[in-house]
Amino acid sequence: MEESDNSDVLLECKHIAKSYNGPIVLDNVDFSIKRGEIHSLVGENGAGKSTLIKIITGAADRNSGEIWFNRTKLPMQYTRKYAENLGIAVIYQELSLIPGMTIAQNIYLAKEPLFPRTRIVDKKKLNATAQELIERYKFPLKSTDLIDTLSIAQRQLVEILKALSQNASLVIMDEPTSSLTQKEAEMLFGIIRMLRQEGISVLYISHRLEEVYALSDRVTVLRDGKVVSVLGKEEISPSEIIRLMIGHRLEDNEVRHSLPKVKGDVVLEVNHLTSIGKFTDISFQLHRGEILGVGGLVGSGRTELVRVLYGIDPFDSGTISFMGNVWEPSVRASINAGIGLIPEERRLQGILASQTVTRNIGITNLDHVAPRGVVQKKTEKKLAYEGIRLLNIKPSNPDALAGTLSGGNQQKLVLAKWLVRELQLILIDEPTVGIDIGAKEEIYEHIKSLSRQGVSVILVSSDLPELTRLSNRVLVLRKGRIIREFKECVITSEKILRAASGILEEQDEKDIINK
Amino acid sequence: MKKILSISEFRLAFILLVLMGVLTVISPRFLTFSNLTNVIWSVCFIGILSSGAIYPRITGGIDLSLGSLAALSGILVDLFMNRLGINWIIAIVFTIVIGALIGLFSGFIVAKIKVPAFVVTMAAKTYLYGIALVVSNGGMLAILKPKPFIDIGTGRMLNLPNPIYIMLFMVIASQFLLKKTAFGRKVMGVGSNEVAAKLSGVDPDRIRLISYSISGAATAVGGIVLASLTQQVFAAAASGIELDVMTALVIGGTSPTGGRGSVVGGLLGAIMVAFIINGLNLMNVPAPYHPIVTGSVILMALLINEGNLSFKRQSRATL
Repeated sequence: MEESDNSDVLLECKHIAKSYNGPIVLDNVDFSIKRGEIHSLVGENGAGKSTLIKIITGAADRNSGEIWFNRTKLPMQYTRKYAENLGIAVIYQELSLIPGMTIAQNIYLAKEPLFPRTRIVDKKKLNATAQELIERYKFPLKSTDLIDTLSIAQRQLVEILKALSQNASLVIMDEPTSSLTQKEAEMLFGIIRMLRQEGISVLYISHRLEEVYALSDRVTVLRDGKVVSVLGKEEISPSEIIRLMIGHRLEDNEVRHSLPKVKGDVVLEVNHLTSIGKFTDISFQLHRGEILGVGGLVGSGRTELVRVLYGIDPFDSGTISFMGNVWEPSVRASINAGIGLIPEERRLQGILASQTVTRNIGITNLDHVAPRGVVQKKTEKKLAYEGIRLLNIKPSNPDALAGTLSGGNQQKLVLAKWLVRELQLILIDEPTVGIDIGAKEEIYEHIKSLSRQGVSVILVSSDLPELTRLSNRVLVLRKGRIIREFKECVITSEKILRAASGILEEQDEKDIINK
Repeated sequence: MKKILSISEFRLAFILLVLMGVLTVISPRFLTFSNLTNVIWSVCFIGILSSGAIYPRITGGIDLSLGSLAALSGILVDLFMNRLGINWIIAIVFTIVIGALIGLFSGFIVAKIKVPAFVVTMAAKTYLYGIALVVSNGGMLAILKPKPFIDIGTGRMLNLPNPIYIMLFMVIASQFLLKKTAFGRKVMGVGSNEVAAKLSGVDPDRIRLISYSISGAATAVGGIVLASLTQQVFAAAASGIELDVMTALVIGGTSPTGGRGSVVGGLLGAIMVAFIINGLNLMNVPAPYHPIVTGSVILMALLINEGNLSFKRQSRATL
């Protein structure tokens, strides 16, 4: 095996390139992690972070480039197992523990201590070894507790222990704090720092820049599949990171991004709306034909707000009025009143995968399709053809099963269900996640055209250019509150991201003074 | 031809025709009016039950209490008519309403308390059997009157046994409800993706409650027909029938995981099993060998119906 010269470096990626049949996801990426450092990887959605992680952990193969770990060159293709054995551990966002088993059983799953010369598990030894490990790191856990009884934060600790039990020298954490409370997150940070003292390297991925700022020894910034910059400890500042993440995009030159003044009647008015633990004191007005963008980090309360407005979840206090009347949301009432929802996860929440396109469109429109309880086949087919035509769904076969369509066409189908109706207001949550650029543009066109027809739109998105391009006005949520509203001004991705990250805008203050 | 065969009911009908052709060649006694009538007659009970049991199945649940409830219904209708002296028509209506309420109760536990249907209806199977034992004093009761009640099961119209008409009515009504009404669309929606259905304005709990009630009511009808046909009722009269009903539904293309199914398909499935048993009888194959053959046929039907489709879907989901 070849040897690398730099003994300080634990992981080194050289000239990594990756494309998924066509679009380039990673382009000549150089990336390294030193021994015992906390290294953050940041970038917008789609910058290539997850692909890079997948390549390092063996979940995906690279097209070209070298990876060195512990001064050993890794093969072009390797499995997750291979990476794990080398000492690369991942703490997954969706935790991979088995609920019905104890902490000890999970940590040593398939590696249980056995009685000599038997295949029988030595339970005493299993629990004792696990407890030793727990005590070594002073985690607030007991090895014999069932996973079911643990909080999400505690489960993460178990995942970390599992990694440590396998002598991991690199622990990768992908958005570990997205479902933790402030206090739990603080505890996790303490543990991450302790890992560093033990000489273990941590690769930390988070959208929450204040965490990146507080924790990291170094930060690598990815943009459009390229490494833009590697910042040392003293160079790290949230403001600088945002500037690097966004870069100079074409969008700054487009006219559309100066938010126009909105006219028209108020369709929806929300006053001091609060749902405890989800969002607090939300107030805004939505005008006829307006596209109201809602930005913010994942977990800032955006999706929760939309769910309350559509009537899926209850709220605790505040008022909602719709078309001038007090509005008590319920899904049925929303549909009848012309309020639609494009949910966040189309596969889990949007489509009936085992049903035809016709049935998928039909089920939202049973009031038209079956006004007296009996389905009028002709009306149903007509509606299906209309939806297919309006959104250019491919294949244009109304009998195709929804589950067999591509992601973009599934999303169009979810939109079609509503576009064949008389709409007043549509709530759209992350409309273009994981769909190709062509379908994306088509969906943007439909959102704009809805607005031109006088339909009001609330658009929740983590895709910043999407927000700046489509919105008439943008609200930014942070920790469940509206932290900023952008209207009648020039808007950029950077401004939204700064607000979402809680950075005060000197620039805007200057703007106000100049006015 | 290819397009027609892609619809599972037609595919089944096609297989059934081939099977009939084979049986006709094998035995001259097969294609006779009396033999065919007998075979159809033998699946009446299963047909009636499956016209209701398909609803819980499509919502992704199951009703395993069919056998106990059918027997209990027979015992109840006898109790009302012959021990309490209630008019036979009213007795039948009472019994069907009770069947629906028992289904509603199971549905309530499944929908509102979120206990798996398998467990809920398994328990129902046992306690309904117990109630049936108590009401019948653990004995076998003969029903000899009233005459019009006995005629339901034993009479003939146009030279065909009455139960065939009742079954056809139930199957057609159920197929209509499932395929042509808003309710049927909602049942399919709930079984296919409950969350998506909910966001489209469907109330999954309500759909479940109604589904289990329908299953209970149809089972009561089946129990009444069986009682009238056999002129005797006892707690174990229909024990194990739920498995035959589930078999028929599965062969008929009703998805084990919900969201897809056909009542007519279920009936064709039941007829297919009956034809196979009939063929074995005509060929003088000893009875102990029958389950081996029927079991293999069920497995084959499952592989044809489910195999390619659902495996593909699963593998995509795990990616």
